[in-house]
Amino acid sequence: MVSPEMQKLAQERAARMQAAIELKEPDRVPFTGLGGDIVAAYAGITAYEFEFDFEKNRQAAIKWLKDFPADSPVGGIGGLDNLAMSVAFVDFPDLANQFFMVNGPMNDVLNMKFARFPGRQLDEYSSRQFIGGKNMEPEEYDELIADPVKFSYEKILPRIAGNLADLGSPTSLATMARLGMVKAQQAAEMRKTGAALAELGYPTGGGSTFAFAPLDYIGDHLRDLPNLVLDIRRYPDKVKAAAEAILEVLVKWTLQGKAAGAVQAGFPLHLNEYLSPKLYREFYWPTLKEYILRLREEGMRSRLFCEGWHDAHLDTFLELPAGWGIAAFEKTDVRKAKKVLAGHTCISGGIDVGVVISGTPAEIDEYIKRLLGDMMPGGGFILGPNVGNLPRNTPIENVAAVYEAVEKYGKY
Amino acid sequence: MREQLLKSFVDMDEQEAVKIARELVETDGGAVAVLDTCKEAMEEVGRLFEAGEYFLSELIAAGDMFNQIMEFTLPKLQGEEVASLGTMVLGTVQGDVHNIGKDIFKVMAEASGINVIDIGIDVPHEKFVEAIKEHKPELVGMCCLITLGVDSMKRTIEVIKEAGLRDDIKIIIGGGRVSQAVMEHVGADAWADDAARGVRLSKELLGKE
Repeated sequence: MVSPEMQKLAQERAARMQAAIELKEPDRVPFTGLGGDIVAAYAGITAYEFEFDFEKNRQAAIKWLKDFPADSPVGGIGGLDNLAMSVAFVDFPDLANQFFMVNGPMNDVLNMKFARFPGRQLDEYSSRQFIGGKNMEPEEYDELIADPVKFSYEKILPRIAGNLADLGSPTSLATMARLGMVKAQQAAEMRKTGAALAELGYPTGGGSTFAFAPLDYIGDHLRDLPNLVLDIRRYPDKVKAAAEAILEVLVKWTLQGKAAGAVQAGFPLHLNEYLSPKLYREFYWPTLKEYILRLREEGMRSRLFCEGWHDAHLDTFLELPAGWGIAAFEKTDVRKAKKVLAGHTCISGGIDVGVVISGTPAEIDEYIKRLLGDMMPGGGFILGPNVGNLPRNTPIENVAAVYEAVEKYGKY
Repeated sequence: MREQLLKSFVDMDEQEAVKIARELVETDGGAVAVLDTCKEAMEEVGRLFEAGEYFLSELIAAGDMFNQIMEFTLPKLQGEEVASLGTMVLGTVQGDVHNIGKDIFKVMAEASGINVIDIGIDVPHEKFVEAIKEHKPELVGMCCLITLGVDSMKRTIEVIKEAGLRDDIKIIIGGGRVSQAVMEHVGADAWADDAARGVRLSKELLGKE
């Protein structure tokens, strides 16, 4: 049973985030908190235990959140983007989203070629990693364009999932049955984790689902990033037609998340920093923009995590209606983004994890003070790390210095 | 012809650049001319990248063109004296299995005249030590994409120190998570979060710029 006090705290946290998204000044700067490999290290467990053992994962998250509370939680077993499988099963709304993230136990069943997990393909202290891969030849663009779902099921899935290599075989049927069993166990565990987080005052419901720029689907799962940037020069019309065909499927998939209760869609952008403004506007942005607008028509906001440098593309956000959503930045200076986007787009990020890893507590205090001094006025800002993963050996006094500084300087 | 090759290469006209290179390589002294011109073109592409005019897609396209052209040019250069700026051992550090950034850097570094010994991804600390002993490089390049790599770079450099090899080499770190602060933290000599800067600084560390 969640205490009234914790229910109130959850409401305050949700309201704080919501105010920033609506470009207002909340009571305090909303802070997404730090997390990643350090959470497991703090609990004295390996990355392998954190990724494969729900009970240990939950206890580690609770320990972390009790000592380092923020406006959004850590916790739950994370996974790697497995979009090709969601696309292949998009006509089954009860399943497509379930397959989107492949976590450690799911990967034990599926054996995805792009996935590397601690205690399996990596040592038990390593971070899980997505390595992508080339799974499609340029001659296959026409097939992809004609039917992205059929193409994903018939061609891509057998190439990326070791245990689905021979569709219809006993091995593949057993794999899907086992996957169903693993998902059912995990759903029960996720409910327990959700209940534990609610007891710590974290909001339940109104969550987030995923979305993908169509070209990132091609880059991450079909052609790999270097080949895709060559394709853009060699087969420009095919790449455009493929992006448009994929858009329809992905919008359908994201709206399945809305039907399950999500109010926001998170896009991790990958190809953005590879492209010049000219190529970005011609190949990447048109279908991404339409995606965001179509979700908006359905009442969903979008959150774009702009991986790498996004400086050259900042002004494209202004083509969207004000209040469309959140732009989170990795390397792009949030101050620079604010100059372009203030009053139009909620900005998220700001804390360079390199500083948290290698600074001193005094330097970190000063760093957060200056950051908040620049970014809080006018609202529309969510503080967070520029990337989600703090490594295991990050000095814990540095982590504490971040939270103390947010407490000190984060009041409006 | 050299000027046309240079221009089409730098302008990212792949078909034209490869076509001209194929013709030029058959002429007297053509192979050396193709190699020199392509190196010059790669340097110009790197310069345009650092100036903010070119992006990663241009670096990748240039690297791909360079490799395509070298495939039919290098066999014709056997017996020619090809100057090397120095040797670099290059690898993605232990725990990190990413290769895109390393591979973009590698082709640009090779095009600049650095002899690159690529020891792969997820490279154990000791393997860096062994490679340094074996190849006696002037430079060691360590890459990482994920934050875990920062710890791993620090440890690798410690192991190199313990082996008594640190003073013999310069170390440059590269990848998405590195910065001045990270460089100081791990004890490297230079850092770069893009390939063009990485090549420029590598040449500086070799005393060639």
